[in-house]
Amino acid sequence: MSAVTEQSSQMKIQVQDLHKSFGSNNVLKGIDLDIREGEVVCVIGPSGSGKSTLLRCLNKLEEITSGKVIVDGFDVTDPKVDINEVRRHVGMVFQHFNLFPHMTVAENIMLAPVELKKMDKAQARERALELLERVGLKDKANARPASLSGGQKQRVAIARALAMAPGIMLFDEATSALDPEMVGEVLQVIKELADSGMTMVLVTHEMGFAREVGDRVIFMADGVVCEQGEPEQLFGNPQQERTRDFLSKVL
Amino acid sequence: MEKKQRVARHGRLQRWIAAAAIGLMALVVGAPSAMAQGNEKVDGQTYVIGTDTTFAPFEFRQDGELTGIDMDILQQIADDQGFKVEVRSLGFSAALAALSSNQVDGVIAGMSITDERKEIYDFSEPYFESGVQMAVAKNKDDVKTYEDLKGKTVVAKTGSEGETYAKSIAKKYGFTVKSLDQSATMYESVKSGSAVAVFDDYPVLAYGIAQGNGLKTVTDKVPGGSYGFAVNKGENTALLAAFNDGLAELKANGEYQKILDKYLSDPSASTPDNFFDLVAKSFPALMSGLWHTLLVTAISFAIAMVLGLFFGFLKLSGNIVLRGIASTFVNIFRGTPLLLWAFMFYFGLPQLTGWEVSVWTAGVLTLSLNAGAYVAEIVRGGIQSVDPGQLEASRSLGLGYGKSMQKVVVPQAFKMMTPSLINQLIISLKDSSLLLAIGFGELLYQGQQIYAANFRVTETLLIVGVIYFIAIMALTKLANYADRRFNK
Repeated sequence: MSAVTEQSSQMKIQVQDLHKSFGSNNVLKGIDLDIREGEVVCVIGPSGSGKSTLLRCLNKLEEITSGKVIVDGFDVTDPKVDINEVRRHVGMVFQHFNLFPHMTVAENIMLAPVELKKMDKAQARERALELLERVGLKDKANARPASLSGGQKQRVAIARALAMAPGIMLFDEATSALDPEMVGEVLQVIKELADSGMTMVLVTHEMGFAREVGDRVIFMADGVVCEQGEPEQLFGNPQQERTRDFLSKVL
Repeated sequence: MEKKQRVARHGRLQRWIAAAAIGLMALVVGAPSAMAQGNEKVDGQTYVIGTDTTFAPFEFRQDGELTGIDMDILQQIADDQGFKVEVRSLGFSAALAALSSNQVDGVIAGMSITDERKEIYDFSEPYFESGVQMAVAKNKDDVKTYEDLKGKTVVAKTGSEGETYAKSIAKKYGFTVKSLDQSATMYESVKSGSAVAVFDDYPVLAYGIAQGNGLKTVTDKVPGGSYGFAVNKGENTALLAAFNDGLAELKANGEYQKILDKYLSDPSASTPDNFFDLVAKSFPALMSGLWHTLLVTAISFAIAMVLGLFFGFLKLSGNIVLRGIASTFVNIFRGTPLLLWAFMFYFGLPQLTGWEVSVWTAGVLTLSLNAGAYVAEIVRGGIQSVDPGQLEASRSLGLGYGKSMQKVVVPQAFKMMTPSLINQLIISLKDSSLLLAIGFGELLYQGQQIYAANFRVTETLLIVGVIYFIAIMALTKLANYADRRFNK
């Protein structure tokens, strides 16, 4: 895997001049970003600003048009790097959960450890039950995803993303598809994860939550990082007109 | 296959009417020399004789036994002359090929005596005089002569003497000739009134009437060609002589006429089998047909699944060349009739390549490639119907594309594909009936063979239809059960 310089070794994620376009549509227009180990970064901004695309570039779910992305020491833009290896270090939680409907809850969580030969089935099941306990759903181990509520599904999805013990977690609007009364239980799980020292990047519309758990908040607009800073500073005293305009609409 | 044989049989008959008549006259007038019982030269010998598979009333199977005019004449001559025969039912062309390669000693297969054939075979005295006759529905009296046909439609068999004759007088009497493929279907169309009369070979027609096909003849027979027993030129002279002697003897003692009467006279007295006898008699043949239908469908569908998965995935490929290959495959086999490929593989491929293509190979190729094209589309559609988020979720866990497909996408796609696949399986099973056109012994083919011999078209088709229906219902239930069981 790519050598990483001494100076950047504390950085879990480094993004340099990242560009991403879909055909002629330039979605990301040069993003630079460094995220330290254990840091919780919340990405906010209007829809279409490129938040989700940025997140998806971090584990190469989107092909990167140009620029450099180094995640956990791996240069994901280097074609020689095994992207499957990188992804084992990066858990991802989706807006629409994307649980595997043909498997039980426990099987959803066991899939990666078993298929990637990290554990045998018994170990993987034990691990799955631990993770389910952590998200408060141990009793649902043998249920099918279809029988769960939205909040429960998302908690299972978080447990599944944690199965390979990743060093980084990515959350792509993890609460946007939930009924309001279920948002809390999911945010609670994410908060516990943040408190445990996990490096996390969250794309979110929950401003209150971003303010509460974020070490840093990034405001994106039109494919660039418009403004970033500590939550108190960004929410309390935004410097940019675009940021003030956006916050006035959502707060 | 069938068609070719029939056409060959009817080749240039007209020119031989004279010769045949002379031959027959010589036979009747000039008493043959060796009339004594037994013939020293052939006494105790066993001869292998080749014949056709089905050419009623000359040879056909009844309750599994080969019977018919040829068979009776041959057996009685053998008995009379003191030799034994071992009959091989090979099919017309195959019987002649076997004769040429000396695998059989002689051929008796309702074969017309023609100039070309006389160059390679020695023929016996003609043992049967054919000809064309017109028949109408038994219960109708409006057509009695050719004059009554004015402005009406008649049917005749494609490529037969009957067709040639009907067309030759069509203008004169002002009627239209419609050509059909099978005797049985011709008779049905006359009975149903879509044609007023049929022109067919006299023995075939007479046999049909004898079987109670619901027709009656109204005109005299127009003389046609004569049939003879054949041996290789210059060989088996003793057998040929014995055949001629025996034939003369049968004609002299009246046995010959008895045989003809048995198959050709109108048996208004005889009561046809009732429906349940028909079911019981045809059951073994139909079950063998059903077995062939199921087997060829099962083998073909298994291959179609492999082809379909392969080309279905190719269609989803990011590579334009691979996608193009898959689309070409699908478009070719979805965009052309199944029957065309059956003919292509069975008749065309051997000529193009020199390979021997069995009817099984041709049948399986045809069905599996056709179904494969549809399955490819089902697979593509099934995989595309799975939420792309599923693949993303699996990939984000670090599983490769292949593993993700195998563990996450395909199981879900397969669940969605199952109803379409069951549907395609049933279509393939029904499509297998088209293979009767190349002589594959499936269910409908067996049904045709049965009504070609007994002319009970409607009832036989009804039985065949019920068997198809039951088989398909059972298959559907089974598939749905498996679907519920495995796709919970």
